[in-house]
Amino acid sequence: MALMFQSDVVQYVCTCGQLKPISLMYFCRHCLKLRCGYCVCHEVDSHYCSNCLEILPSAEARLKKHRCQTCFDCPNCLNTLAVRATTVSVRDPDDPNKVNSLKKYYHSCFFCRWTTRDVGLPDQAVQTVSANGWSQKGESNIQRINVLLEYVRLLGMQERHEREQREKKFTPRSRRTFTHHPGLTAAHVRKRAGLPPELPAPSTIRDNLAEFQPAVAKEEVASLPESIFTEELDIDQVTTLTQRLAQPETQPESIVDLIPSCKHLCTKRSQRCRGCEHNVSKPDLNPSSIKFKIQHAASFHVPEVRLVSVQPLIGSKECEIVIVFSNPSQQPTTISFITLEEAEAEAQEHTEVTPDTSVPQGEAPPSLSSLTRSPPVMEEPRPVSIAVTGDVNLPTADVEIVLAPKDDAAEYDDSSDTQQFHDDPQIVVHRRANKASLRLTVIPHADKAGQNCTIGFGFRYTYINRISTPASASFEPQKVQLSSRTFLNCGKIKESQ
Amino acid sequence: MELQDIHYNKAEYVETASGNKVSRQTVLCGSQNIVLHGKVIVQSDAIIRGDLANVRTGRYCIISKRAVLRPPFKKFSKGVAFFPLFMGDHVFVGENSVVSAAMVGSYVYIGNNVVIGRRCVLKDCCYIEDNSVLPPETVVPSFARYAGSPGVCVGEMPECTQELMVDLTRNYYEHFVPAPQ
Amino acid sequence: MIKTFYEGGMGLTSEKQSVVFDFGVRFTKAGFAGEAAPRCIVRTEVRCSRSGQMRKVFDALNSDEQYDLLVDFIHNLYFRHLLVSPKDRRVVVVESVLCPTAIREMLAKVLFMHFEVSSLLFVPSHVVALSTLGVNTALVVDMGAVETVVIPVHEGVAVLHAWQAQPLAANAVESQIKEMLSEREKSKPSEGFANLTEANIEDIKVRACFVTTLQRTLKAEEGKPCPSPPSVKYLVGPDSHILNISGDIRENSFNVLFQQDADQISVSTMILDAIIKCPIDMRKPLAENILLIGGTSMAIGMGARIKEELEFLSASPQYSERLKIRSFQFHSPPAKGNYTAWLGGAIYGATDFVTIKSLSKEAYLRERKVPDWVSLIHNTYNAGTKRSV
Repeated sequence: MALMFQSDVVQYVCTCGQLKPISLMYFCRHCLKLRCGYCVCHEVDSHYCSNCLEILPSAEARLKKHRCQTCFDCPNCLNTLAVRATTVSVRDPDDPNKVNSLKKYYHSCFFCRWTTRDVGLPDQAVQTVSANGWSQKGESNIQRINVLLEYVRLLGMQERHEREQREKKFTPRSRRTFTHHPGLTAAHVRKRAGLPPELPAPSTIRDNLAEFQPAVAKEEVASLPESIFTEELDIDQVTTLTQRLAQPETQPESIVDLIPSCKHLCTKRSQRCRGCEHNVSKPDLNPSSIKFKIQHAASFHVPEVRLVSVQPLIGSKECEIVIVFSNPSQQPTTISFITLEEAEAEAQEHTEVTPDTSVPQGEAPPSLSSLTRSPPVMEEPRPVSIAVTGDVNLPTADVEIVLAPKDDAAEYDDSSDTQQFHDDPQIVVHRRANKASLRLTVIPHADKAGQNCTIGFGFRYTYINRISTPASASFEPQKVQLSSRTFLNCGKIKESQ
Repeated sequence: MELQDIHYNKAEYVETASGNKVSRQTVLCGSQNIVLHGKVIVQSDAIIRGDLANVRTGRYCIISKRAVLRPPFKKFSKGVAFFPLFMGDHVFVGENSVVSAAMVGSYVYIGNNVVIGRRCVLKDCCYIEDNSVLPPETVVPSFARYAGSPGVCVGEMPECTQELMVDLTRNYYEHFVPAPQ
Repeated sequence: MIKTFYEGGMGLTSEKQSVVFDFGVRFTKAGFAGEAAPRCIVRTEVRCSRSGQMRKVFDALNSDEQYDLLVDFIHNLYFRHLLVSPKDRRVVVVESVLCPTAIREMLAKVLFMHFEVSSLLFVPSHVVALSTLGVNTALVVDMGAVETVVIPVHEGVAVLHAWQAQPLAANAVESQIKEMLSEREKSKPSEGFANLTEANIEDIKVRACFVTTLQRTLKAEEGKPCPSPPSVKYLVGPDSHILNISGDIRENSFNVLFQQDADQISVSTMILDAIIKCPIDMRKPLAENILLIGGTSMAIGMGARIKEELEFLSASPQYSERLKIRSFQFHSPPAKGNYTAWLGGAIYGATDFVTIKSLSKEAYLRERKVPDWVSLIHNTYNAGTKRSV
């Protein structure tokens, strides 16, 4: 049913060599290349709670350990808990004969019917309880871990001290010159040089280390309770692994120890082209908005191929397929077919033109890495991992098919097209708005009967580049020839008689 | 593959002036409370409970066979109240699914055999996989993909979900044609 | 001297907290350096986008597939669980000493080339686990999913020639449960058993089984078994087929770790053998500093059983001549067994050691290799220190 669910019928080859449906690809308007989720750099833009849809600023989110403070997950089934209100009657402390009714809130799961009352958590007086309302077990560990952390940190400092003592004799000249710069404090210099801040004196480190008390091993270990051999086990009272791991700190073994956990936040992410560091997609900040500040999906730029109909595929027999090309851009575009090999060669040529930034030239001083963005790293493009199981007869490269521009208003206009194109009726079957249906013949490989018939072809298309480069001051939109490779899965090949 | 034509029996369906195609084999209770905003398809044996509260859908919604749209209720100390059910544009509701949400955004896909519990809120561009059960009052954020029972987030939808859903529902509408005589 | 937790975690090393990973065969622990517990403990699995099925990350068929699975999995960890951008952030990976070089290299490649992390530090799980105690010497017993690995650590250095590794861990227990169940199925087949999945068996292990005492096992071996604990009714599958888990299974499935096999090896002999392989003056401190880590060590009664076993075996003719130590002492780290090694990495990762010892992105891009102590190229004099510009 449409292309939402048939992601493997028509696949495009991404610049990184991955095969993806066009709906999952981006088009970098600066590099003029296809990108996919695999070869862009994902960045977390904002954090929000998926239940209350509240945005948390990154700093706050980090402080709250990326959890929402007002929404909770059911510890039993991991569904979101809902707040329920009840009224309780409380005797007035001043007048014993008077009864006041008070609103109290508790949390309840609408899926498994678990409530905070099940585990004896008291009802809350306010609707939005904070996480601190319930005592978190395992707090005792935190103190000990803090002590350990400080201890290991001191050890680290001691080691660095020794190392710096050793290196002092060979301080590089470049670093020394900074110290003579007026107006720079020592701490500044260290930061500029990408070094951690100044260390305390070795004697203080030693003193502090001496204060530390290492853990002591004991003879006693938690023994097996004798009752385990005699008492019936109610397995429903024992938590499952999933329930335990949802609360990694405490990992309660009995369901009476389960407490609601704060809901994990979700993220909105932006995608950045790794070649030129420009964003290819950047969502709106508002969690409930589906708009984008920047969205360069490939389906807005690259002509889309869809498979319309296929005649029965029989090994080594010519079969007809109909594909439709649609032009997503506001300008007419011209399409011509090329073979996969030609398209691949063109794609490679393109990659070679761009300077290879994957290996930094020379050795970048480590000092700069903390201040500036590090140069982009690109994985090697991979060879395409799909086997072609059918040959396709393509129109020659000089057959050019012009596609009309996309006109959003035309969607509401049922009048037939008035534009005239000089098409070869052998190839172009039908035209409508920005679409053209083409007829191609496919010869499935005889030895691949029973398998899916995969055909592949490349096509060139014209693209109007509206990005002005700093080099060319003119804002003249440039017309460029781009090429793309697609693979079509036409369905099962039948045995030839 | 492009969607193939889906043929329906011309006698069975009523087409309104705004382009809604509604099967006669449906149960539309309280039809004065049901607003279909145009080019909506309601297929056979679907049930829309307009008698409980208002039901409003946007344009290009597809309500598949045996699906149920039922306004949500909330219990109060004094009884039960029903709330209207709003649905955005370009929403697909799969076969046998029961939708009791308070709000279904636009460009939402609900699979087959799904139960959307009462007073759920489905934001725009979300996707509920087949056979999922969303407990009451679940909020599904935009671009989330929910599955399982209870429904949990299992993934994300691509950025161009909006275009995909528009394409899907438009195509569906265009290919939903009377069977040739 | 003690600072608050958050300041402590981030103050000195860098602005961004380092990410700490402990990739296990079955579960992966991920979180931030300086925190008391991992943010998540998740199955080391990814959902295959094609089939929708869960795939175990380390079950890849070839290296390309392995790479893709790791990319998908780590992507999930960052964006679904840790919720931070991986780029330009330090990473600490807690690894087993026995981790294959190919996996190390691949992890480094995935993290540097795909996620563009700023630096990477591999820390050996057995050694860093000690930073949860603040001691330098201990005998670390890591009982994981696939194998149990015993490595003595003396003054912060792993005594590698004494290491012991055997496939006596969660997998062994689970196949034992399955075997014991199928044994009974022969006489009385049930719907429940037919629908049993791997996940069910793990669940049975976690919720119903425990490690019995040595006395009871010895009595049973003599032919005078104690009365079995009560059996448990376990519901399988969506149709709730009843499967009866007998007391025998509950009590004795973990015994597979302690039955000495044909080579007379069990978890307890591994510990004793590791001690014996160490020089005499190390033995006493090791025996008095035993640290049990790994998910399997969390089974009810595991610590007690190991202690009994060690005391019993060290006095038995098998060991009494070779080992004069009779008392064993155990540590209890401030963490659950399954994330103790992670916590070690998190403590270690919050200190200057990360700045000193990490492999930087620049260095990786230059060499395209991860330094490894076993490789002579990286292990020559002065190899680790950075050449000055």
